[in-house]
Amino acid sequence: MLRSCSHATEIRTLSAETVITGLGTIGCYGHGREALAAALAEGRPVVSEVDVGAGLHREGGARLAALVGERDVSRWVSPAAARRMSVPSKLVVAAARMALAEAGIDATRDGSPCVGVYLSTTFGSGLSTERLLRQILLEGAEAAQPFHFSECVANAPAAQLAIAVGARGPNVTLTQRESGPLLAVARGAQAVREGRVDLALVGAVEEVTPLLHALLDRFGALATKEGALAEMPRPFDRRRNGFLAGEGATVLTLEREEAAQARGARVLARVAWSGAAFDATAPVSDWGDGHAPLAAVLRAGLDEEPGGAAGVGAVVSGASGARRGDRIEALVLRAAWGEAPLPPVLVPKAVIGEYGGGILAPGLLALEGAHFGPPHGFAESDPTAGVTPHRGGARQIPSRVLLTGLAAGGAAAWLLLERAS
Amino acid sequence: MPGIDPYPGASRAVVVTGLGAVSPLGWSVESLWDGLRSGSIAIGPFDRFDHSGHRTHVAAQVDLTAEPERPRGKPRRLSIADRFAVAAAREAVAQAAIDLDSCRERTGVYFGSSTGGMLETETYLEALLAAAAGQGKPPSTSLLASQQHNGPGDAVARDLGIGGPVQTISAACVSGAMAIGDAILAVRRGDVNVAIAGGSDSLCRLTYAGFNSLRAVDERPCRPFRADRAGLSLGEGAAALILEPFERALARGARPLALAAGEAATCDAHHMTSPHPKGLGAAEAIREALAGARLDPAEIDFVNAHGTGTPLNDAAEFEALVAVFGDLAPNLPVTSTKSLVGHLLGSAGALEAVATILCLLHGEVHPMPDNGTPDSGIRLRLVLGHPLRLERARHALSTSLAFGGANAALVFTRHGDQDPER
Amino acid sequence: MLENQETRSRIKHLLVDALHLEGLAPSTIADDAPLFGEGLGLDSVDALELVVALEKEFGVRIQSHEVGKEAFASVNALAAFIDGHLPAAGKPNAGN
Repeated sequence: MLRSCSHATEIRTLSAETVITGLGTIGCYGHGREALAAALAEGRPVVSEVDVGAGLHREGGARLAALVGERDVSRWVSPAAARRMSVPSKLVVAAARMALAEAGIDATRDGSPCVGVYLSTTFGSGLSTERLLRQILLEGAEAAQPFHFSECVANAPAAQLAIAVGARGPNVTLTQRESGPLLAVARGAQAVREGRVDLALVGAVEEVTPLLHALLDRFGALATKEGALAEMPRPFDRRRNGFLAGEGATVLTLEREEAAQARGARVLARVAWSGAAFDATAPVSDWGDGHAPLAAVLRAGLDEEPGGAAGVGAVVSGASGARRGDRIEALVLRAAWGEAPLPPVLVPKAVIGEYGGGILAPGLLALEGAHFGPPHGFAESDPTAGVTPHRGGARQIPSRVLLTGLAAGGAAAWLLLERAS
Repeated sequence: MPGIDPYPGASRAVVVTGLGAVSPLGWSVESLWDGLRSGSIAIGPFDRFDHSGHRTHVAAQVDLTAEPERPRGKPRRLSIADRFAVAAAREAVAQAAIDLDSCRERTGVYFGSSTGGMLETETYLEALLAAAAGQGKPPSTSLLASQQHNGPGDAVARDLGIGGPVQTISAACVSGAMAIGDAILAVRRGDVNVAIAGGSDSLCRLTYAGFNSLRAVDERPCRPFRADRAGLSLGEGAAALILEPFERALARGARPLALAAGEAATCDAHHMTSPHPKGLGAAEAIREALAGARLDPAEIDFVNAHGTGTPLNDAAEFEALVAVFGDLAPNLPVTSTKSLVGHLLGSAGALEAVATILCLLHGEVHPMPDNGTPDSGIRLRLVLGHPLRLERARHALSTSLAFGGANAALVFTRHGDQDPER
Repeated sequence: MLENQETRSRIKHLLVDALHLEGLAPSTIADDAPLFGEGLGLDSVDALELVVALEKEFGVRIQSHEVGKEAFASVNALAAFIDGHLPAAGKPNAGN
């Protein structure tokens, strides 16, 4: 019996906070928070060689990516159910089930809560898209396979997740590149806060195929070998020359704090604040120079929170090693903090790469006091940017962490998480 | 109990103050309305790409030679979908007479696109694959233009110098409607003072071949809700709406066109390509949108349906309408803009919102072509052949049902027709 | 008879490959077992996927209205359907 989701016809500002109660994550590091924590503590990018057999890669370009590889997700997604799922769909359903299990929610029970899905992806299922395009371009229009088409729409993972867990509320897929994961969390949190859904499954997913890797490299976006410099992402480093392409999925369960408490669920974090803006100086697939207005939005948002910028115990930065991306990220942070020193700035993308499940999982781990080892690619700060990432060493367990996501093309998003008392 | 009073004087009423459209009927709202009103079928032969290998050879294509003015920026970096979006947004902003200089940081862009710059990506990939096979040099990456789904929305934000939130939703056929829904919520919530909401998509090989692989494309222009309907027709284009708080619009002397009275989004959670046969998720979305607008079904004067012309969609959508409207359904005027301009995928919901508002403003529902045979199982008051003059044109519903089971519903009220007694 | 057996065997392999029926050995699919609804539980999208695969494998052309559950009901039904569509000498090509 379908449960009605239509109890939320008005925007109510509810007194209860929106909290994160479950985390599921799969990436180059394996699956689960322990595997991720181990990789972050090590500080080294978890990479594999990309298959260049199709001859699409350029000479002297990038050859590494943070790939999921042959991960067995049958524990969360049966082979029968996965029969027509693309890799992103499988990863999302698996990550969502992990998160639901941690949160102690059985979403398939009759009378289950009204569940909304808010996911982010940049490229959708690259493999399905590539196969479909190859069929059309090389074999002829009629060779197109239906399975590939239904999986290459950007919202396929969100749709598969809805079917898997019976999520009949809003089903939203945002495609806003590096800002997407944070926007998805913010969007889901708004829906929970306003009573439109009881439970929001929020997160991000990305697949990195050899073709996508080759294209990103042809754009000059990826970290490459340069002279004696190994191919490695170097967020904020003076010698950085691109990011590491990464795949994976992260899904969080979001609900009202009172609901979580009623269930006796452990609260991982509260969603304290989210912000979004746009830098219109950014070219189509790159970052711009308009850091001042972005910093103003960030600063204004932080100032409304208890403690302001000073109350932020750590920044979990979206810096990835992208030349112009890291630069504007650094300038925004420094302008937002003004004269005050920055808190420790963590750079998880040095380990897990760009895209994938975004920095949502590392952000939660940072809030829990996880150890982030010194990023292996970092040697010297870029004086024109002026931010040095945290180089390992003890940190105070923060009560608030700020996640940042500046996108190529101009979008910007921030998310402030705080520990539940 | 706190809530929304969607009527004038209320602090949270959201109004539409500008419209923009680029469609197979032309590069303006005026050409769109002229074409819709006269029932002009824009679905026919097209040359956006080579379709000789397909079973079908019709689509609704925008005439690129009629583009009014090229947007700023390196032209080669903008995909066709970007150009549609920028033109539609400019038209909407001009109509709304918004002084963007005074509110850039408080203006947001909420767009939808299903394939972004895919057409250009296909051309690039064809050349890259040929180069890999030893035929020719690898193509320049500038051909890739803005290849992703967020291209059109970002292009609008860049063209207009926007500083507020910018987001693109890519949820197949509901993208445009959901983008408008998100914009309504953002304005109500006070996230922005002005929202530019809409969608854009161009024809491309991927979707044309993809829908053909599902045998979902009609060889003839689509015939929504008819007994002999045989599939959808693909189209391309963009639409944009300017949304702002009612009070602000009045304060700056703007003339609201319509009230964005209600919005809702649901998911069937049923099947990846087929809607729930009873349209349960769609019915839920319609009910929720009506409830948000504080309207009874009886107060809806017409419906701009999703109406793709596929056997399954139209049947499911009919079930959804019956579930909500009951005995009112047989007399409920229903039209489908897709019968004239095809299915614009990511921008369909936005273009159809524009069409819905135009019908309200003109007091008449645009027709569908009077072709095909009546389906005795679908008892609605289909508007066929010529426009239906409405005695009352106050409230209208626009529905969207997507691939993957998402549904969206929008309710618009003609400005000036709100009942002050409520 | 031998030809038919070969057709049936090719169809069974096609079912497993094209529809990603992992872990199912083609030889275990009974000739007359229902494919849609019950039995293998395939649906309309599987049918369309099968059409693309059959067209490639056998060089036949299948019209949209022929993609029906009767013609595709079992391996036997599919074999008969394919036979009826093969452009062989002396046989009218029912596919056009």
